[in-house]
Amino acid sequence: MDCIITVELGTYGIRVFIYDLSGRVIGSMKGHYPTFHTQPDYSEQDPEQIFITTLYVLKNILNEYIHPGKYKVASICFCGSMHSVLPVDAKGNPLGNAITWADNRAKKEAQELRNSPLGKKLYRETGTPIHPMSPLVKIAWIRDHDKERFRSASKFLSIKSYIIHQLTGEYMIDYSIASATGLLNIHTVSWEGDALQYAGITADQLAVVAPVLSKAGKLKKAYQQSLGLQADTKILIGSSDGCLATLGDGIIKGEAKACITIEDSGAVRVMGTSVLKDEQMRFFNYLLTNDYYISGGPTNNGGNIFEWFTRQFGEFASQFDMEDSMQQLLEEAANVPAGSDGLVFLPYLLGERAPIWNANARGAYFGLNIKHERKHFIRATIEGILYEIYSIGKTLEEQRSIENLSVNGSFGTIPFCSQLIADIFNKPVQVRPEFHSISFGAYILSATEMGIYTSLDDAATKPIDPPDVFKPNKQHHGIYADYFRIFERLSAKLSDEFEAIANLQQKYTHPDKLLMNDKL
Amino acid sequence: MNQFVLQYGKSAELLLFPHILELGMKKNGSIQANSFPATVAEGLRIYHIIEGRFEWYINHQPHVFYPGDVALIMPGIQLSSDNSVLTIGSFIWIQLAVQKLDNGHVLPGKWSRLSDSEATAIGKILFVNNLPALSRFNEVCSIIKCIYTELVEMEVAYQTRINQHIDELLIQVTRKITRQTHSTRDFPQAFTNLEMALRQDLSHQWTVEEMAGLVGMGTTLFTEKVKSFSGFSPINYLINIRISEAIKLLKRADISVTNIALDTGFYSSQHFSTTFKKLTGYRPSEFRKNHLRNI
Repeated sequence: MDCIITVELGTYGIRVFIYDLSGRVIGSMKGHYPTFHTQPDYSEQDPEQIFITTLYVLKNILNEYIHPGKYKVASICFCGSMHSVLPVDAKGNPLGNAITWADNRAKKEAQELRNSPLGKKLYRETGTPIHPMSPLVKIAWIRDHDKERFRSASKFLSIKSYIIHQLTGEYMIDYSIASATGLLNIHTVSWEGDALQYAGITADQLAVVAPVLSKAGKLKKAYQQSLGLQADTKILIGSSDGCLATLGDGIIKGEAKACITIEDSGAVRVMGTSVLKDEQMRFFNYLLTNDYYISGGPTNNGGNIFEWFTRQFGEFASQFDMEDSMQQLLEEAANVPAGSDGLVFLPYLLGERAPIWNANARGAYFGLNIKHERKHFIRATIEGILYEIYSIGKTLEEQRSIENLSVNGSFGTIPFCSQLIADIFNKPVQVRPEFHSISFGAYILSATEMGIYTSLDDAATKPIDPPDVFKPNKQHHGIYADYFRIFERLSAKLSDEFEAIANLQQKYTHPDKLLMNDKL
Repeated sequence: MNQFVLQYGKSAELLLFPHILELGMKKNGSIQANSFPATVAEGLRIYHIIEGRFEWYINHQPHVFYPGDVALIMPGIQLSSDNSVLTIGSFIWIQLAVQKLDNGHVLPGKWSRLSDSEATAIGKILFVNNLPALSRFNEVCSIIKCIYTELVEMEVAYQTRINQHIDELLIQVTRKITRQTHSTRDFPQAFTNLEMALRQDLSHQWTVEEMAGLVGMGTTLFTEKVKSFSGFSPINYLINIRISEAIKLLKRADISVTNIALDTGFYSSQHFSTTFKKLTGYRPSEFRKNHLRNI
């Protein structure tokens, strides 16, 4: 029987799923690879370790589920994090580590470009907000600060392109990840001349842009043998994590529905046939296909902030017992009225992207009075994280109507959080427990490529299990709406003070302490 | 308890204990010139501060010790103070003879009842962490006092008891180090620290006990946590790192395959070649031919 393998190259590691043709999970495995922070603002990964981990996990999952059983692998579809940059030499050998999306070394370049007319034009053409995450400014940084590496670089790849090149020998990049480089014109779907010029490279230094259903060459003989895969196993280029999470959640174009992902970080996304235009450059517009745009806004501060809170104030009955400690806090939070009796939390511990795009933003508890207890802080922390999600959704609603929400990601799918999202947005929320949207999105691509579905829309509207639905509580919504107005005003009004405190933190904190962890 | 100093070779009490090089308690009531000259000792020195405030330099780095704190000075490392003066206060200390291995690690001697792997783990943790100041650590004082009492009173089976106390002291110190260096709340951070330690000494034949010890966990819980966090058993995760580093070295022309194997922690080039081929489909030499960098 045929089956489909999906490979997700994520921030913390690789995740591999095996699906049967109807979309049921046969098995899954993961493998961690590290992120290195050798200097403040640096965030790097070792491409060789990512590749070895990929091979290792693939080999293990094939040995466990495929080789002993009745399955034959029809295709392997790849999904990757966006915004990574890996310079390679003429032989395809990496020149140092890959720079990941979370790397902020190009913040000065980004700020200058963002404030220039060229920046505004590039944002309109490429759909990628001008930000240190963008490969556009990262490559410019390498050109100016790592000249030797820039000179030796034959190509600038994404991590996923590198892994695919290792496996098949092809240099390819899919529409979605290409559209998140800041170098692709999303209207013409070709490398944008002005962006190339800004970065100081030529189009042949980038991989070949291919639609998400494209085959990315054939698996090299050595890997066919070591993995035990047949020569006709299709290698599909696939898409990005953000686009596939949206597709996997069953969102189709033209539907008045948004997809909310909250893992460590988070995003709110919609799908449409046109881009979102925004003079303030608050949204991204990425390509799934020629006529499907995934648009939305990202946040730095999601489940990682609640984990931070748990580490500081959780009980930890035994060593490293994060899960039980979080569970206990959630139970305590449930005993506090909606709105935390007037304690409001700004969650910007890691600076913030959408909608305020302020790297200097910082956290705050506001409205403390003598009656507040520890439990109020717990609930306020969760509410603050979700107010931030709402502030992205609210800006999206200026351009798109949103009637339903679909929520995924480990933090967003905690029932307590899903209910709060429904209440804060005043919209019904759909959640599929134990469901991995990104991988399912990659399954949809593969199954559509195989002709099992007539189109991506057709596939996306045939979910295999009905979701749980959280209905909004009107009374709670009223309370949240009132407090959210304060949240929103504080986020804007504190702008000067954010900058002042961020500067002092920089001035008085030992540089070693500024090494950000990988939870950006 | 009054001041005392026992030294192996000078004090009859230590005749049966060649591994206790020195044991003492000092009460310093006045400041005098040259009362605390810089010293380098061949043994592992552990000082526990009872009273006063001491500013000492360990390996030329300044540290301030308050009552309850412990100074841990590895063999061959210098201990000194400003102008060689001892400030007012009191402390208790012990100096233990330990085996020094070629790689700088230490091992307890034959007197120890620690198992081989536990002894290696303790030696490794003491060496890797290089943490000369341990705060709020009164257990050290009571163990050293017990050793002294046993030495003086010589009750039945005191020899065994003293050696047990020394093992206990090493265990306590090691655990304190792992607790002080790693949060017991942030496993991803602990794992990152572990990964750094592994990479710094990749040629070492790491055991799971040593890795667990570095994170301050028992091996069973450690293996379980690593598996659920990384998807791999600790040893397989280590193999990942070894192969990834080997790949980088294979792309350079200036190092032989045998040396790459040993540098990255494989027992032999044969072991390396088999593992490498199993995972990547290529023998290291083939891989090298395809990927050698043009320089």
